[in-house]
Amino acid sequence: MAELIINGQMRLSQIIDRDKRALVLFARFGIDLGIGDKTVAGICRQKGIDLQFFLLMVNTFLNPDYFPDKQLKSVDTDMLIGYLVESHNYYLEERIPYLQLLIAKFKKNVDHPATAQLEKFFDQYIVEVKDHLAYEDETAFPYIAMISAYKKRADMPAGQIDYSVGVFEERHDNIQEKLSDLKNLLVKYFPPANDRYIRIRLLNELIDFEDDLINHARIEDKVLIPVVKQLEEQLKLI
Amino acid sequence: MGKTILIVEQSELVRKGLIKVIGSFNLFAGIHELACNANIESSVIRLEPDILVINPMLLEPGLTEWLRDKRNGRMKIAAIVYTLFDDELYSLFDEVIQIGDTRLKINNKLKYLINKQVEPKKHVPDETLSKREKDVLKLLAKGLSNKEISEQLFISPHTVITHRKNITRKLNIKSVAGLIVYAIINEIISVEDM
Repeated sequence: MAELIINGQMRLSQIIDRDKRALVLFARFGIDLGIGDKTVAGICRQKGIDLQFFLLMVNTFLNPDYFPDKQLKSVDTDMLIGYLVESHNYYLEERIPYLQLLIAKFKKNVDHPATAQLEKFFDQYIVEVKDHLAYEDETAFPYIAMISAYKKRADMPAGQIDYSVGVFEERHDNIQEKLSDLKNLLVKYFPPANDRYIRIRLLNELIDFEDDLINHARIEDKVLIPVVKQLEEQLKLI
Repeated sequence: MGKTILIVEQSELVRKGLIKVIGSFNLFAGIHELACNANIESSVIRLEPDILVINPMLLEPGLTEWLRDKRNGRMKIAAIVYTLFDDELYSLFDEVIQIGDTRLKINNKLKYLINKQVEPKKHVPDETLSKREKDVLKLLAKGLSNKEISEQLFISPHTVITHRKNITRKLNIKSVAGLIVYAIINEIISVEDM
């Protein structure tokens, strides 16, 4: 299937037919389903979503080769952070609790001493994910919001700021690696034990989450970091 | 077409000796030599030897992988050995030439290699851990550091790291927490050990 660049004239239902991952993306923008044949441009106008920004997010998320070079200059960092925070909330409130539920069910169904360790492994992993997201929400994003506010007021920060997006870039480690370990354990090593369908459901969810995190990280690396670097240059912070 | 052989051995005494002995057999049209492992890949690609004789001391992880791949093709690999090696390493070789081998024995070994049928290429990666790797995994799962593991097993920390890399490569599990789950599943450790 040739990669398709989503544009404003396309219908939302068309996009979902092509790629089911669009479902969670639309939800993050507050777009609910049951919208008939509405086009992207139509729904954006109705919901007050910036069309260019919406297209940038959708295309970067769905297509790993999409490189938003020209659009970067016009990206509004507040919108971007809003979108990223919304994704974090979705991970914390939807994805992770559902995975925990599936793992608990798997543990209940499978009589094997390693299931307890598997659950412990996932619990430790959740702590890491929460730390990772909390760092972004509490340190990196407030910094970005602050310098973006300076820019909008055509103002300059008075003193030295003890942070830069370079620090964020350096610390930005990958949090999907352990999911891949978990996936391999379930695909290759856990002995079969009356768990065929619960295991498939768990794997499906792990694979989707892993994919979601990879695409999310790509937006941070390819869009957020370059945009903020631009901003720092304009404000002469670096 | 005449057969060719490439000899990779750092000791000049051993290398030249081997060339002289092999040269007297009239088995090979070309005998090539290397004194270190720096250009093995390019030499093998250029010379396309039928047999590669190499001292296992010159093997590095990346090179071993590369040779394992080559061996599944047309080239056969023999070790030239005069010290002790981990048994695991021998799985790379089709034949082992010992320093104490007689002329006749070396001749027979090389003839055997020339006539040996190449095994069909296997695509299944070897996932079974060696005894040593299991030892390392066991201690790792108990929470020991690389240094502590090296002290307990009387091996260098560098060797511990190599074992760990191989474990991760074979199992495709990168985190220690994930390796612990694997170790319990496969009864390398029990929950009580933790």
